[in-house]
Amino acid sequence: MSEPLLVCEGLSRSFGGVKAVAGVSLSLTAGMVTALVGPNGAGKTTCFNLITGNLRADAGSALLRGQSIMGLKPHRVARMGVARSFQDLRLFTHMSVRDNVRAATETSAWFWQPGGAAARKAREAAAEEALARTGLTALAEARAIDLAYAERKFLSMARILAARADIWLLDEPASGLDLSSRRRFGELLKEARRQGVAICLIEHNLDVVTELADRIAFLDQGQVLAEGDPQTILRDPKLAAIYFGDREDAA
Amino acid sequence: MLLLQLLLQGLQVGALYALTAAGFALIFGATRIFHFAHGSAFTLAGYTFLFATQAGWPWYLGGLAGVVVATLFGLGIYWFVYRPIQRHEGSFFTVFVAAFGVGIVVQNLIGMFAGRGFASVDTPLSRAVEVLPDVYLAEVFWVAIGLSLLLFLLLTLFLTRHNAGVALRALHQNPDLLRAYGLSSTKLSLLAFAVGSALAAPAAILTAMTSGLNEAIGHQVMLISMAATIVGGVGSLRGAALAGLMLGVAEAVALSFVDTQWAEAVSFLVLFAFIIFRPSGIFGITQAR
Amino acid sequence: MIAYFTNLASLGAIFCILAATLNVAVGYAGIFSVAHAVFFGLGAYAGAQVSLLLIPDALVAMVVAALVAGALSLCLALPALRVRGEYFVAASLGLQMMAVTLFSEAKTLTGGIGGLTGIPRPHILGVEVSTLPVALAALALILLATALLMRGSFGRTLQAIRDGESAAEALGKNVAAAKALAVAFACAGAGVAGALFAMHMQFVNVESFNLDQSVLIMAMVIIGGTGTLWGPLVGAVILLSLPAGLAFMPFIPSTEVGAVQQIIYGLAMTLLMVFRPAGLVGDLSRGKSHA
Repeated sequence: MSEPLLVCEGLSRSFGGVKAVAGVSLSLTAGMVTALVGPNGAGKTTCFNLITGNLRADAGSALLRGQSIMGLKPHRVARMGVARSFQDLRLFTHMSVRDNVRAATETSAWFWQPGGAAARKAREAAAEEALARTGLTALAEARAIDLAYAERKFLSMARILAARADIWLLDEPASGLDLSSRRRFGELLKEARRQGVAICLIEHNLDVVTELADRIAFLDQGQVLAEGDPQTILRDPKLAAIYFGDREDAA
Repeated sequence: MLLLQLLLQGLQVGALYALTAAGFALIFGATRIFHFAHGSAFTLAGYTFLFATQAGWPWYLGGLAGVVVATLFGLGIYWFVYRPIQRHEGSFFTVFVAAFGVGIVVQNLIGMFAGRGFASVDTPLSRAVEVLPDVYLAEVFWVAIGLSLLLFLLLTLFLTRHNAGVALRALHQNPDLLRAYGLSSTKLSLLAFAVGSALAAPAAILTAMTSGLNEAIGHQVMLISMAATIVGGVGSLRGAALAGLMLGVAEAVALSFVDTQWAEAVSFLVLFAFIIFRPSGIFGITQAR
Repeated sequence: MIAYFTNLASLGAIFCILAATLNVAVGYAGIFSVAHAVFFGLGAYAGAQVSLLLIPDALVAMVVAALVAGALSLCLALPALRVRGEYFVAASLGLQMMAVTLFSEAKTLTGGIGGLTGIPRPHILGVEVSTLPVALAALALILLATALLMRGSFGRTLQAIRDGESAAEALGKNVAAAKALAVAFACAGAGVAGALFAMHMQFVNVESFNLDQSVLIMAMVIIGGTGTLWGPLVGAVILLSLPAGLAFMPFIPSTEVGAVQQIIYGLAMTLLMVFRPAGLVGDLSRGKSHA
């Protein structure tokens, strides 16, 4: 496999004495899906927040294509090609589906976007493609707030597709999806992997993890306990005990 | 000596600010409603007292009437304005605009029926005597300080000892728990509005006896209460009261350095600085964003 | 009679500019400023001073007013970047109160309580013109600019920030820059309205730039409907014709017309928020919580 795109080393962050993330090292490689697995409160979402600049790390480093992204504002990190989704989606509820996706293709804060007509056409094309790939074209004029649950999830994915990032951080993207939606989501992810996107997802459903992930990082109490291919990790009885909340056994 | 005089005046004004701000903070803390019409409760209470005394009522009946009117106003605005807005999930701005509308209506109704400009009640309490060389103090000073302390003590006891008071404090933090215990959040919100608005009445009555009222005073009262709540730290009743006291003193002491017109701006300068540099306030537990 | 209506129409155009620009902050960016009259005032004083001291040219006055108000909009952008919701409203109220004190005390710039008098009528390239066409042209330009910006990427950015600040950041939106620009645009527009107001009235004082005025402008936006292009204009026209309409009602004593008018718009604000929070023009679901 090629060089990793994003390399994090020793990321740490505590909240009022409680170590939410304690020395997490993680690397994401193009065309590979890494799943962050672990019990609730293991620090998975906090890891995302440290990478994207939503939280400041107490210690550690994060290099994106060899360049440090520590201490950068979230929008800077995003513009360098890191896209993320949120567990609670955070759609732009009062905008149309199409405008939600269009907004993802535009980054300039000025009154206009750079690049003129050609760039505008490219952005429009990217937005329409993202809508088509997520099956939202027919709903493009609906407002985000009026969508059904699964459609909202796919809109959140459409925004990420349209952003054309090469690193995706997905926070429980498949939770609550029915079987056929989950299959569609799987196709979407596999397609992105083929195109060389480095994907990191937080996921509780181990079926989804087994199907999609190339690698698993198992987090507990802010630390990576084990890392490796899904078969090895998921068969480890000690990790299973932690995951299913049987802490006595694990200790 | 001028400084001491101003300081004492500041304490008197500040004690009244503290009472009003505590009412505002109580309502906000319990219901998360930023009650911008709090000043109207103050105005209505003050003018009720004014009318009652002019009609020849004894002061205690007039005062009681003021408290009753303020309480009724608080209950009414919650029931008829805030509750319907909350039911259709109105944003804070919807609440703000509605409350501001009520404030405008109250101000102009009073202007129409009570006349515009300053009005005050002259009582033997408000006559100043020289207590130290060049330092004048009216008995109302002691009343203001004493009453504020007493009411604050009662409020603290109520909030920590009485079941309803404890529930009131829990209302915002854990509404589900309250529901589990069979307490209605509507009833508790009504209680918060009743107690919070009633707290504005004594301050209004004392203001009517000292510096006087005008129909637009609600604006200023609302702004001061809001400023004190934010400076003190949202969620802290003690912080709000203390900040109210401080703002009163700061305004008065500023008088010895700058002109009257600037003194009023001092409170807002303090508020502005706090919002930019320390939005969680002095005793704040929650960050603003 | 014609003079009466021309005057009313000129003021109408000026207040339409105020409402339309405040709407950019309130309706699109979710920045609930109750200090719009401050920037109206800054523009008015700047425009008046340019006309009095430099040259009574309407275009120069408007440009200078827009620059002054736009530059000082930083006072509003600063808290807008730090806090949200009630806190920002509180900050803008504080700014409004401080500004009134400043306007009354900075006598050399504003003439104090007495205000500035004898402001020359508007000229364009040395020819005296009436305010109405200039104001209408300015309104049309500002509306056009607003429509273009709000339908384009900038409007999308603002609405995205309004609906979900962290998600907007995660998509590469520079929230601070977008908010500051929106505030600057809104305040510069208010400055233009101020310059027009000064030249139209030929007299300005602090009375026109106090909290009541800010609330009136806000009421126009709210009553008309936030986040729509035409709503604020509808609101402005309704609220401005209110006093004129009341003047024709014989049973209201003339001394109380002002109070009755205020009561009506206070009531209108409250009732609308309770029963139709999206305003008259707005689509209803917009009124729901998204602050």
